[in-house]
Amino acid sequence: MSNYTDKIREISERLLKEGRVDMVIGFKQGTMPMMNEPCFVKKPEDVSKLVWDSHCGINLANYLTDRKEKIGVIAKGCDSRNIVTHIIENKIKREQLVIIGVPCKGMIDRRKIASMSDAEILSVAEQNGKVIVKTKDAEKRYERTDLLQKNCALCVHRNPVIYDELAADLVEEQKNVDRYADIREIEAMPPDEKWHLFDDLFSACIRCYACRNACPLCYCPTCFVDESRPQWVGKSTDPIDTKTFHFLRAYHCAGRCTDCGACERACPVGINMRLLTRKLEKDCFESFGWEAGLSLDQRPPLDVYKTNDPEDFIK
Amino acid sequence: MKVIKIDKKDWAGGLDKASSGYRFFGPVEDKECHNFKELDKGELPDFNFSNTRLSAKSVVFPQTEAMFEYSLDENEADHHLMKECRKNDAPRAVLGIRPCDASAFLLVKRNFDNPEYRDPWWVKAYESTTFAGLACNNPCASCFCTSAGCGPFDEKGLDVLLVDAGDHFLAKVVTEKGRKMLAAAGWNAETDADIEALKKDAESKISSFVPTDKLKDKTTMELYNAAFWEEAAFACLNCGTCTYSCPTCWCFDIQDESKGKSGIRMRNWDSCMYPLFTLHGSGHNPRGTKIHRVRQRFMHKLKYYVDKYGDGIQCVGCGRCIRLCPVNIDIRKICEKMNSYEPKAGDCNR
Amino acid sequence: MGIEPDRLHFSWISSAESTKFVEVVTGVTEAVRALGPHQKFVKTNVKVA
Repeated sequence: MSNYTDKIREISERLLKEGRVDMVIGFKQGTMPMMNEPCFVKKPEDVSKLVWDSHCGINLANYLTDRKEKIGVIAKGCDSRNIVTHIIENKIKREQLVIIGVPCKGMIDRRKIASMSDAEILSVAEQNGKVIVKTKDAEKRYERTDLLQKNCALCVHRNPVIYDELAADLVEEQKNVDRYADIREIEAMPPDEKWHLFDDLFSACIRCYACRNACPLCYCPTCFVDESRPQWVGKSTDPIDTKTFHFLRAYHCAGRCTDCGACERACPVGINMRLLTRKLEKDCFESFGWEAGLSLDQRPPLDVYKTNDPEDFIK
Repeated sequence: MKVIKIDKKDWAGGLDKASSGYRFFGPVEDKECHNFKELDKGELPDFNFSNTRLSAKSVVFPQTEAMFEYSLDENEADHHLMKECRKNDAPRAVLGIRPCDASAFLLVKRNFDNPEYRDPWWVKAYESTTFAGLACNNPCASCFCTSAGCGPFDEKGLDVLLVDAGDHFLAKVVTEKGRKMLAAAGWNAETDADIEALKKDAESKISSFVPTDKLKDKTTMELYNAAFWEEAAFACLNCGTCTYSCPTCWCFDIQDESKGKSGIRMRNWDSCMYPLFTLHGSGHNPRGTKIHRVRQRFMHKLKYYVDKYGDGIQCVGCGRCIRLCPVNIDIRKICEKMNSYEPKAGDCNR
Repeated sequence: MGIEPDRLHFSWISSAESTKFVEVVTGVTEAVRALGPHQKFVKTNVKVA
């Protein structure tokens, strides 16, 4: 995907020169292996700052919320779906945006790579579908497809669903993906086992809120955990409070989450909170045939009422 | 200072012997990373790590700490009175703390233990602790400790410096407290082994350097108003990862929680990245935007602290915030920007 | 998330359906009583270390 960079720069330069946008939001080269930093470019001569590779996992829709400028934004499949959700939820106007679509082959899982190596990783590069991981004394090659972020491996919307420009030809979508094998396993567990699983899952949480803040859906002016009049959730490291935060946040994302993976990627302690959001995604798909962010014309299932809504749970 | 040789085969035995007099804390691996925790009887610290995911500050300054207890039951004589919680201040020893984390306590001490104020909880915990540090033979590429007044074999803040020398540790006695702990473990084989060569070797492996020399001569308001903050803050998510993982961040928030008729007053780590941190009762927030908050974090560490204490930056160069930041905001780059900043006409960002 | 299914009940009862109301409330009470007191999601005060 690295050849996308030239095209992104070319498009960005043109948009800025023609005055169609005030800024382009994209990624610049990071200072750490497998990390890039979201950035903006306001002058055509600065577009060389923009890069694209397999480490652009942060969801850029997050940087559009309530902005007033005309913006060129670089969007993978998932970013584009969150941009759709943003437009539906009035967090940005379609007319403000020039969406530079990036057909995506999945981002690389930096934690997986780090966990496979005993030594510190000094650089990660890509060549012909191979990922080359360098440490001080060794160089290892892996198949790129084996190293995808978990959400990317399950992704069925790699192409942007909405765009004005394209940085490359559309890619083939993954077919016959079983998105919910792990969720079905959890669903089948007896209550005690589930409780234990979530107890353990969130035990390392430090309440830094990186998951919430990296999430393009979490734009509330005051999050429920930050409310103080009344205070809904305690502020300590109490496991009940921590779980309350994670459970409720996931519910707030029901029918809106695109499984972009920003939450899990951002977590400093590597918690897979996507187990919660994907359960809700699965329920929305099964109950309402709904996948978030695919169309500007339909509102998410939980903010509309339909007479044929399933209600088997009401006795 | 004396250097004691500890054979690794005597390690577990010595700790066991000393465990009657100390509560041991050490790095333990859980969920693919190391963190400090209190060791169970017979449990050994795991030294197979470069550095712990979070710093050791929680040993002295826990993320959640009960300060007072109270009762709301009017049948009790002392109802509605805050009573200081009784804490276990038996001697403790932190094993395997890296020199950066240990010297961070000295920076934090300026906040919790100074002529105007002595924080009883922090001071008691700190004073009851013996720090047996583990020298860094292989510093990470993102460590810049030698630029931050510290180093892979730095001794300040430590009571004992352990150096892993293959089949044995070399333990350099730094303080009387450290000598006592080694004696309690029965380690007393003095050696004239020299750790200088290992120290030089480790220092030579530090590959990251950050200039800080001009920070103190910069004009505060010029730095404050510098145009680069907009760009520097853009990516920031305002999560608390950097501040919570930082060994030198000390801010906390006090909360009361009660259940039934009993309650506690506790303090929890807080973060200058959160909008709530400075939110006034009136609803006004003097640091209302992301740029305000990011600027505050770096100005505090790299300018206000430098000016206030005249002893360098409020950072030990452990590199955690760089490694853990979800959007790759790098304190080294910001420090460089601040250190080399020259105001230009019209360069302003309020 | 680990809450027993029988702890949570949904019902739609009109104000005219008094018999149904009695049945549902009795059913809920029996189902929850059979499970015993709820132990999960119960917060205790922060422990003093």
